[in-house]
Amino acid sequence: MALLGRFAGFWYDFLVGDRWELFVGPIAALLVAWLATAMGISGAVTGVVLFVLVAAVGGISIGWAIRR
Amino acid sequence: MSSLAIVTIVSSFLASAVEFVEAVTIVLAVGVTRQWRSTLLGVLAAIIALVGLVAVFGSAILLFVPIGVVRLVVGGFLVIYGLQWLTKAVLRAGGAKAKHDEAAIYRDEIDALRAERPVPATGVDWISFTVAAKGVFLEGLEVAFIVVTFGATAGMLGPAALGAAAAGLLVLAIAVLVHRPLSTVPENGLKFVVGIMLTGFGTFWAGEGVGIEWPAGDAAILALLAGYLVLALLGVYLVRERLTSRFVGATAGPAAPGDA
Repeated sequence: MALLGRFAGFWYDFLVGDRWELFVGPIAALLVAWLATAMGISGAVTGVVLFVLVAAVGGISIGWAIRR
Repeated sequence: MSSLAIVTIVSSFLASAVEFVEAVTIVLAVGVTRQWRSTLLGVLAAIIALVGLVAVFGSAILLFVPIGVVRLVVGGFLVIYGLQWLTKAVLRAGGAKAKHDEAAIYRDEIDALRAERPVPATGVDWISFTVAAKGVFLEGLEVAFIVVTFGATAGMLGPAALGAAAAGLLVLAIAVLVHRPLSTVPENGLKFVVGIMLTGFGTFWAGEGVGIEWPAGDAAILALLAGYLVLALLGVYLVRERLTSRFVGATAGPAAPGDA
């Protein structure tokens, strides 16, 4: 059980670490892009939206890091 | 050779070089401080485990998972991983985060190893074996992650593995020649470039995974890479400006009574 916990902890550190926003943000951005595609919005618009959202996640994370 | 194969090799090479530099620092510290034979055995064990991981997971993903799912999941992970690298590189380049100092890490590692119990007169020194194997495995796991994700999504497992192997051999050759940690490698610059590449390719593939039909097809990757590059450079500039203004504000202090 302890080994399983350490294994899970390792992958949490590997993928999430101390900046959860960089894990949750891209997933949320992809969800928005998926919804836009499902609603029939063009690839060009959805692509730009995805790019802007991913970049915004990075910008927010940098801003929070500086404040910390 | 296709342009995608070349880009895959270059991306894998650069990303792997950074991780191999970090692994070599640990291996050198263990070998110099304790026992080279056990250290190299640890390295060998870690390499065998990593090659097995890449072969099993890479092949399993290519053979059993539909390409749409691979692009969505793996592309998403590449964006997450690429953003982690890129934001750290922006913070380091802007002066908000300390740069990775291989020489300092090497000194700390040697101090820690000297505090351990002495090397046994005969047999394997398990401390050397464990520390070297763990260091190489953990750093190499990031290489394996990039090789598997990049290779599987683009259908380029071979070129991705080739780029990683070339980086490993180059870093190892330089380490053997200079016999000290590779502290002059521009690690942050490499992470900056690789972060942009992983984020750009990840956005493209994950976008395809959610059903985006990119205008201009594969050429959209170039636009994404250029866009992230411009924003990352802007980020470095803004971080510097923010820190400078904060420093000026702190040194100026509160205005004294009577100041104009």
